[in-house]
Amino acid sequence: MAVELRPPAARPDGPSRRPGLGDTLRQAWREYRSMRTALVLLVVLAAASILGSLFPQEGLSPQRVDQYFADHPALAPVLERLGLFDVFGSAWYMAIYLALLGALVACLVPRSRALYRVLRSRPPRGGDLRRYRARASFTTPAAPEEAMAAARRVLGRHRYRLADHDGQLAAEKGFLREAASMLFHVSLLVLLVGLAYGKGYGYRGQAAIVEGETWANARVGYDSFSPGRFFGAGDLAPFQLRLDDFTNSFHPNNTPKEFASHLTALDLDGRQLQAQRVAPNRPMTVDGVRIFQSDYGYVPVVRVSDAKGRELLAPQEVLTLRDPASEWSTGAVKVTNATPQVGLELTMFTGLRTAPDCPGGAPFCNDPRLVRPVLVVLAYQGDLQADRAQSVFTLDRSRLRPLGDRPLLLVPGQSARLANGMTVSFTDLKQYSVLTLARDPGVPVVAVAAALLLAGLIPSLYVTRRRVWARAGPDGAGGTRVELAGLALQGKPAFEAELARLAEQVRRGTLEVPG
Amino acid sequence: MSPADLATTSDTLAWLAVVSYVVAATLFGLEFAYRTRWFGVAGLTVTVAGLAANVGAAVTRGLAVGRVPWGNMYEFSIIVGIITVAGFLIWLSRRPDIRPLGVFVLLPAVLAMALGGLVFRVPAGPLVPALNSRWIVIHVAAAITGSSVLCLASVFSILYLVKERVERRQRPPAPPLVAGAARTADRVEVDQAVARHASVWSRLPSADTLDHLAYRTTAFGFPIWTFAIIAGAIWAQAAWGRYWGWDPKETWSFISWTVFAAYLHARATAGWRGRRAAWLSILGLATLLFNFYAVNTVIVGLHSYGGQ
Repeated sequence: MAVELRPPAARPDGPSRRPGLGDTLRQAWREYRSMRTALVLLVVLAAASILGSLFPQEGLSPQRVDQYFADHPALAPVLERLGLFDVFGSAWYMAIYLALLGALVACLVPRSRALYRVLRSRPPRGGDLRRYRARASFTTPAAPEEAMAAARRVLGRHRYRLADHDGQLAAEKGFLREAASMLFHVSLLVLLVGLAYGKGYGYRGQAAIVEGETWANARVGYDSFSPGRFFGAGDLAPFQLRLDDFTNSFHPNNTPKEFASHLTALDLDGRQLQAQRVAPNRPMTVDGVRIFQSDYGYVPVVRVSDAKGRELLAPQEVLTLRDPASEWSTGAVKVTNATPQVGLELTMFTGLRTAPDCPGGAPFCNDPRLVRPVLVVLAYQGDLQADRAQSVFTLDRSRLRPLGDRPLLLVPGQSARLANGMTVSFTDLKQYSVLTLARDPGVPVVAVAAALLLAGLIPSLYVTRRRVWARAGPDGAGGTRVELAGLALQGKPAFEAELARLAEQVRRGTLEVPG
Repeated sequence: MSPADLATTSDTLAWLAVVSYVVAATLFGLEFAYRTRWFGVAGLTVTVAGLAANVGAAVTRGLAVGRVPWGNMYEFSIIVGIITVAGFLIWLSRRPDIRPLGVFVLLPAVLAMALGGLVFRVPAGPLVPALNSRWIVIHVAAAITGSSVLCLASVFSILYLVKERVERRQRPPAPPLVAGAARTADRVEVDQAVARHASVWSRLPSADTLDHLAYRTTAFGFPIWTFAIIAGAIWAQAAWGRYWGWDPKETWSFISWTVFAAYLHARATAGWRGRRAAWLSILGLATLLFNFYAVNTVIVGLHSYGGQ
């Protein structure tokens, strides 16, 4: 029932008592654990979640948050203060769901007590059966005791709990509904605990490994790393990963078909622990850490020497950024020990094609398969400003000017001379694999809770509570008149027919009795 | 048949299904408005034919692409048609009296399919590697079924609101406090106007029946939706290394879940039963539609497969 959060008005007649603090608190408590509060909080939670999908979220796409700051310089700081870029981690979002969970617990405690009491008590007597709306009756030649025995058998078969009240049989069933509903709600609590535990003691990070290289599972090896609040740096599992090979393939329409890393896990002494092919949807587990295939890219190996043949840049693996739509990659080489400094802008084609072979009359295009790798090099000279923080994938061209007027095109193994006499060699081409590594110790808890939640949900919606009473007495013509009446708490429209079926089964039961 | 032929056959069958459903919806509508049994029987026949074409469209599409035919929004829309119409037919076999409601079931299915065919149609093709998992069978099938059923429940809630309003207006008015010819005449005129206006809608099943129908349908769809979310979480754990990450799709499926959970609670709460609960169900419908149409196309997230 809806409860008003208002102290009762003082009655003019009789001793008036001002409502004390206790009354107000009791009233507030009752209001808090009412279904109406849960309902309102559910709707508020839904509304709050909408905000999290409308604004870019720090945890999901930090680049888009930065973009938002650039687009709305005045508004963004205000939104940030309100927590709108991290809705699901914000204090007010937490306040809403904690309030909901609190209401849930406050509601579960009295409910479990009530369920316990009802389960321990016998089905209550029905009183005068004529006052129930759902009724059924019949006459049978069997004796009253036999009719009652038949009723007991039939109701027992339908899993009713039975009790005799001097001649009246009381039957009750459907407590599974309440028990299942409680299981559902408790599972929800457990699920949240598992979630919080996993978040607090787990971590998630990304690392890039070049083919043939061995990577050690240490904080410095990660390109991005987000530990849980209680995750210590020493908690990283001690192992190494070696990327033996990376393979990828494409459908005839040039969309990616598959990409996979052939990984070997090693212990710190280099002994092999396990080897596995890791692909999307095919993770590997090493020492409780799950390893997922995220992304990949190309690594041209570039060597630069000066006009006299002295090496300015030893063969360097240049990590490039792959454009998923065209499959070409871009990167940069910074030759800081040349005077003036030289910067190279690289574009890596996997299969460079030119005019007649390209769709739509484009002057050039790229086949995503590694069929004709070509490295296009654009050179600049001047000041690289290498002492300033900058991206490894691009050059800061503010103090650079073009070196030469045309780009160099190199295939693996080829070298070419820049306008200033320097030589650029494209010595080798490798691939790198981006892996996501994650540890979440809460997963088993969450999985069990989700299974129990589902197991509780279905009976809590479908089991119906019923009470049925039966009575038998002489009909005055040598036979027995059996009366049934019942009460349904759920599924009322179907109940009268159900009761009629029960009565029919009892009637047939009385006839089956031998003698 | 070659994959290209199969794909063409699939497209033809899909449009055939849409046309059949439109015809069937019209026939059911006529039965609803004029209470002519003949229209209903004809509508049923056309519906069955349309469902056959619809199933054919999905099967040929699946054969053409060599995978389950629910990898993008267009294919999803085709399956929505199958689930909704097949569900309606199964249910009709148990309760023949709901046949005139067919128009309200078929129209949303037709809208979904036509929108899928006109706006989101993509040629038959393979999926990105991230979708290459057996969980696509389970998770997406559950999501289609759950959301279709919950949408239907909301349609019943809308009908409930309509009928409840009609019933409230038709309730015998309180006798006038002062007997007078003019007042009575006014009232008769108003009542007649209301009766004329409400003539078609009053043929809906009683408000109580519709409310019960909406509840039963929600109670059927809600666990399926819950399962779809859980299956999605299991898949996300395997594919992305986290079972929940507040990706916009995940967020909106959680929002829908919360709103329908609120509906189920409202049905058991004094002061919320009836109209308020029905509005919650309609709110739930809005979140489901937003999740499918807006989140897939407008909002950037890991589930942005609409154009693929």
